[in-house]
Amino acid sequence: MTSLDPRLNRVDIYKYQQELQPKDSMDQFETYEVFLQTKESKPYQHEGIVHAPNRDMAFLFAKEQFSRRGTCTGLSVVRTEHIMVSPMTDNDENVYDLVSVEPEKNTKKETYEVFYLFKRGKHMQHQGSVSAVGFHDAYIQAGATYNTGKTVLNVWVIRHDDMLFNTEDERVIWSTLSEKKFRDAIAYKALDKIKKFKEEQLASK
Amino acid sequence: MYGGGNTFEKLKTKSIKEENPEKLAEFEARIARGEKIEPSDWMPDLYRKQLIRMIEQHAHSEIIGALPEGTWVTRAPGFKRKLALMAKVQDEVGHGQLLYSAAETLGKSRESMIEDLISGKSKYSNIFNYPAFTWADSCFISWLVDAGAIVNQLANAKGSYGPYCRALDRICIEESFHLKYGHHCVIHLATGTPKQREMMQEALNRWWPPMMHFFGPSDKISAHTEILMKWKVKMDTNDNMRNQFLDMYVPKIWELGLTIPDPNLKKNEETRRWEYTEPDWEEFKRVINGDGPCNKERLAVRAMAEERGRWVRRALLNPKSKYVTPLA
Repeated sequence: MTSLDPRLNRVDIYKYQQELQPKDSMDQFETYEVFLQTKESKPYQHEGIVHAPNRDMAFLFAKEQFSRRGTCTGLSVVRTEHIMVSPMTDNDENVYDLVSVEPEKNTKKETYEVFYLFKRGKHMQHQGSVSAVGFHDAYIQAGATYNTGKTVLNVWVIRHDDMLFNTEDERVIWSTLSEKKFRDAIAYKALDKIKKFKEEQLASK
Repeated sequence: MYGGGNTFEKLKTKSIKEENPEKLAEFEARIARGEKIEPSDWMPDLYRKQLIRMIEQHAHSEIIGALPEGTWVTRAPGFKRKLALMAKVQDEVGHGQLLYSAAETLGKSRESMIEDLISGKSKYSNIFNYPAFTWADSCFISWLVDAGAIVNQLANAKGSYGPYCRALDRICIEESFHLKYGHHCVIHLATGTPKQREMMQEALNRWWPPMMHFFGPSDKISAHTEILMKWKVKMDTNDNMRNQFLDMYVPKIWELGLTIPDPNLKKNEETRRWEYTEPDWEEFKRVINGDGPCNKERLAVRAMAEERGRWVRRALLNPKSKYVTPLA
């Protein structure tokens, strides 16, 4: 059986299927949640996940997966299991009215990042940072500061040090985005070509 | 690209009658209000299984769909086309990742999805079992197969499952470039030299039958289909999607002086529906079940990537890591 792809004819592609073993457990690694900031004036927003063997590679994959287009000023990844997640409430119920927690007994203060969801189907959005002695303490403190008016449906709390952010200097990795015009729909002027074609056809008749 | 409301296998699930009626009523009321379902919400077994099946097949289609076009990256005519095609193929693989992630939030691991693809247990869009003989074939795929996919995806993006909708929103934004790029490539050939025109026409002749298969056979309006439409898993019937595609793209194909290889294709102005020769659904079934021109090669290539990459994944694996289901 020959392929139309000359590269495939140079290897015996069919031999691998015979040797194929089932995947090892965790073959696809653990997952990291990805947060993106498209402009400095905008909050970080949850975009999705990547699978990666460690945080640095998660960052690399996240850059390829989620910041290939548009503009980007910041990217952050964190292991899924490092996020404290509140239950999700119904549309008109504020999570702070339903879920109360006891503050922790620790005394060491650390920085926590807090994300809220205001509407089902939308993305989790960064509200700000709080200095707290634990996840529960951070949840309560964030409520006092950021739970103002809008109904909060879901809260995520993450220890700042668990998140990997790019540094200011590293923003150069996105500086070529605007040059890659060949990936913009607007770069393809199809109508001009069609118009010229039709004019030529009319002229030849 | 390449999602569809159709799945190819029979599903074994808990019947709806076995579900908790109170929870089911709440769930249906939420969807009726136009709200999204999120991973932590209660959902009926049928909803979960059907969505996993559908999103997983969509993801596989992105990964396998990159192959017939990817073949042409090394032989693209000129540097500009090569850059654009590489970017497009990279996009498709990225879309596969986004979709696997959305399916994962429903509880199926990525390991098992990839295994089911390679073993042939799980399907992908049938159109990728056909070969791209010439550069013009790759242009057809970039323009019209993507166009068909966008019709599907725009509909599905209005569905009820939050993570799938968010993935599709991102995908649709990226697809807009694919469509324009593909259109530009086809126009270039169709308005070029006689040899180029001929090449484009031949590709169109080859790809039209699989394109008509793309949206799947007419739906049997069963109780099953009705409930999936009520739950906003399936957003429209296959025939409606096909009709919408023909409405949008047949005039654009004719405008280029190309001939569509179906003498019966015309729009009935009274019914506002397109009429066409009934596609050969026997062939469709045969190809889905493994007997298409490229099925074996596509899966062999995927298995090769799996085997050759294994040592890298093993070397990188942190043995202490453990899996938790992603959040959204």
